[in-house]
Amino acid sequence: MPDKPNLRSTAKAFVYLAPALLVLGTFTIYPIVESFLLSFYTDYDYFHDRVYRLGFDNYLYLLKDPEFHLALRNTAVFVIGVVPISIALSLGIALMLYRPIPLRSFFRTVYFLPTVTSVVAVAVVWRWIFHSDYGLLNFGLGLLGIQPVRWLTDPRWALPALILFAIWKSLGYNIVLFLAGLSNIPETYHLAARLDRAGPWRRFWSITFPLLWPTTFFVSIVSIIGAFKVFDEVYALFGGSPGPLSSALTLVYYIFVKFYREQDYAVASAAAYVLFLITFLLTVIQLWIGRKRTAV
Amino acid sequence: MIRDALSRGTILFLLSLGAALMLLPFAWMISTSLKAPNEVMLMPPKWMPSEWHWDNYVRALTMAPFGRYFLNSVLVTALSTLGELITTILAAYAFARLSFWGRDFLFSLLLGTMMVPGEVLLVPNYVTLARLGWIDRYEALIIPWTASVFAIFLLRQHFLFVPKELGYAARVDGAGDFRFLWTIMVPIVRPAIVTIVVLKAIGSWNAFLWPLIVTNSREMRTLPVGLTAFTTEAGTAYELLMAASAFVIVPMIVLYLLLQRSIVEGLARTGIKG
Amino acid sequence: MRVELEGLSMRFGDVTAVDRLDAVIESGELVALLGPSGCGKTTTLFLLAGLYRPTAGVIRFDGAVVNDVPPERREIGMVFQNYALYPHMTAFDNIAFPLKVQKIPKNRRREMVLEMARLVRIESLLERKPAQLSGGQQQRVAIARALVKRPKLLLLDEPLSNLDARLRLEMREEIRRIVSNVGITTVFVTHDQEEAMSLADRILLMREGRKVQCDAPDMLYLRPAHRFVAEFLGNPPINLLSARVGAGGRCLLLNGGTPLTDLPEDIEPLPPETPVVVGIRPEDFRLEAAGVALGDPSACRGKIAGRVAVRETTGRETLLRVETCAGAVRVLAPTGKAPHPGTAVVLTVEPSALHLFHPETGESLRKIPQGLPKAASGVQLA
Repeated sequence: MPDKPNLRSTAKAFVYLAPALLVLGTFTIYPIVESFLLSFYTDYDYFHDRVYRLGFDNYLYLLKDPEFHLALRNTAVFVIGVVPISIALSLGIALMLYRPIPLRSFFRTVYFLPTVTSVVAVAVVWRWIFHSDYGLLNFGLGLLGIQPVRWLTDPRWALPALILFAIWKSLGYNIVLFLAGLSNIPETYHLAARLDRAGPWRRFWSITFPLLWPTTFFVSIVSIIGAFKVFDEVYALFGGSPGPLSSALTLVYYIFVKFYREQDYAVASAAAYVLFLITFLLTVIQLWIGRKRTAV
Repeated sequence: MIRDALSRGTILFLLSLGAALMLLPFAWMISTSLKAPNEVMLMPPKWMPSEWHWDNYVRALTMAPFGRYFLNSVLVTALSTLGELITTILAAYAFARLSFWGRDFLFSLLLGTMMVPGEVLLVPNYVTLARLGWIDRYEALIIPWTASVFAIFLLRQHFLFVPKELGYAARVDGAGDFRFLWTIMVPIVRPAIVTIVVLKAIGSWNAFLWPLIVTNSREMRTLPVGLTAFTTEAGTAYELLMAASAFVIVPMIVLYLLLQRSIVEGLARTGIKG
Repeated sequence: MRVELEGLSMRFGDVTAVDRLDAVIESGELVALLGPSGCGKTTTLFLLAGLYRPTAGVIRFDGAVVNDVPPERREIGMVFQNYALYPHMTAFDNIAFPLKVQKIPKNRRREMVLEMARLVRIESLLERKPAQLSGGQQQRVAIARALVKRPKLLLLDEPLSNLDARLRLEMREEIRRIVSNVGITTVFVTHDQEEAMSLADRILLMREGRKVQCDAPDMLYLRPAHRFVAEFLGNPPINLLSARVGAGGRCLLLNGGTPLTDLPEDIEPLPPETPVVVGIRPEDFRLEAAGVALGDPSACRGKIAGRVAVRETTGRETLLRVETCAGAVRVLAPTGKAPHPGTAVVLTVEPSALHLFHPETGESLRKIPQGLPKAASGVQLA
């Protein structure tokens, strides 16, 4: 637009922006600032908006709190357990689904189904599948001669059960992203490589994989950030508890407990900012690598 | 590629195996939901109910106020989607087509907030709502969700792709900005709007943590919150639990099957940014 | 509607797109804004439409200043380069849109749309959407939409540039027919000299935001006021040669001293040795076979000797590149008489066909008649 902004045009624009800004200002921008400040309140009466003392106590508390350490460790294990497997599986499935094959649209529909359904609702059936005595999973393992596992009640197996559930839930979204990425790779490269007599594996590793790398990288970052924020799955799978002996206590669950159960708003805010710091660093890495790639 | 390396038959077999694993929980949910109580807990499991107990659904849905939960979910989903649509269309138009002071700054500020995880907002928002006296009311379930930076960003990108000449033509034809926006811009970007609506509706229908926190009474629960409460209320009556879960899942599955294309394309669009 | 531009200027930041433009467009005239890209012609059109507000100067419609009148109240119709048809509406709805905005009753609206559709000959296409129409059909719909509210001024932005060559000829005639049918004052923008020459009553030629010359197409061609006009119009382009005035002050000598010809009669005598730029259109050279005796310098009826280097036939005429002592020149000859490469030739030119420009300012040294063209004005040249 060549028109320069003036008072009139600015006033008009803000009429258009007002509804969105009112909501976003109140429920997004203000709380970001407020939460940050809150994480430094050490002596306060939040409901009456009185603060008596500020400091780093809340962060120091997190540093020393074994529960928080546990939550960080569990979250890290969860991320490491879910992301690589989910990405490898969804990449494989996307490659198989990419070009015409009988029932292709049926397969796409099916793989995507878990993505649109409520975590809480499918968790109910997964609890039933994980049931120690009557669950399908232990029945299946029994057929292979494996002793039943107490998936949801044994602290050693709670996290693996959670990971299994999360992989099932996350596959569809990643497949869709990979399919979109694959459709951006021009067919001509494959034809050229074929003419150069490159075999199928050679073509995958020297053409598809490098050209798909930006997508893979993007999917990884999105998955990692998403996995760091896991909550619904934990709450629903373990019936409103963080698993046996807190064995599935994750970062967001920790925030939830501090905020909702213990009403320790300041510590909850500090923990939320630790989460923000982690996701922020991941985003920065993504932008940095993204820029480096485009610069080359 | 893989399909050259593996035979067609192998690919079909692998895909079918995967599909079966993806579908198994849904099938098991439906099957269990139709069983008589004494058939539920059997080892080895009974794959199909010997008699189809549709009455399980009636029992489950009357045991807890699922009708109310359902209405709440419909209301919350519909109103927050409608609200988000209106705020998004107006704001995206301003960012795409109006010139005003501080536009770039404001836009960057909003984009910046996308990096902040929603969990950071939890505590202050809860307190804000408490101060407004909205806890355990529809306002708390709806109003904070009636604007989305992501949706504004997505729609603005689509608005920018509409040729500027259309705006000039509309002005020469005598249409003001407001009329131009609703009668020309909005119909042109309809696919993007469908994407926004569908993603919002799914997200809103499935939302859990927020409704869990801001509702106290049974009457205000949405389906996911009501369902988790029901898991303790129903105890080990798995056939009833499965019936209730199916009741929560089915509307989204129907919506998904109807609008599959725009949902999948919409999601792909959220991922591939240029 | 009579349109007057007075000192019209438009600046975008540091860029001056239109610079102190003065022009008058008479009621019922068809005027082309012509110039290379970036010359400010589209900006001028947008200023006329009211889509831009001028940073200085005045626009008058029928004597009234319209600077502050918004586009919708200027009584203008506009056709955009990409037609800007609303993609989700049928042709009918597109044409009806301006009427709908004006809240004209449905029946009346229908009548007016059908009348326009008849005028632009798209009655059978009204239910189609823009994507189902060819470029020429879209163009017709766009013209109908612009004319349906009976504007007093029609503005067309590069109306033919999105069409292929054959359609372009067809639409050129169509635009002429429609515009003269309606009798509306029309301004169109183009970068294509041929389009401007064939369509317009008058051409306003612009360069770097300024008016260079505004006149009837043949006057612009025959009497360019500026070297830029001479270069811009004409295909193949004009030959420009450096020359100086000979000893007597009435003769032109090419570089190297070859006498070219006498100065034209309507020019003030110039002091000897004055440098000038001579423009000669390729069709103004006369070709003679070599062997004719070279010119006698005292008579100053020069004959330039040369050799044909390249021969390019376009059909009826053939373009030759002839190497001469004054450099390579383009010469247009009837195909039947065009010599083949390698042939030695002699070129002559009539004084009246010469265009003389000041070597620094580029202004024409010949007298350029101002104002509206008279039908016979070009004839006096011979």
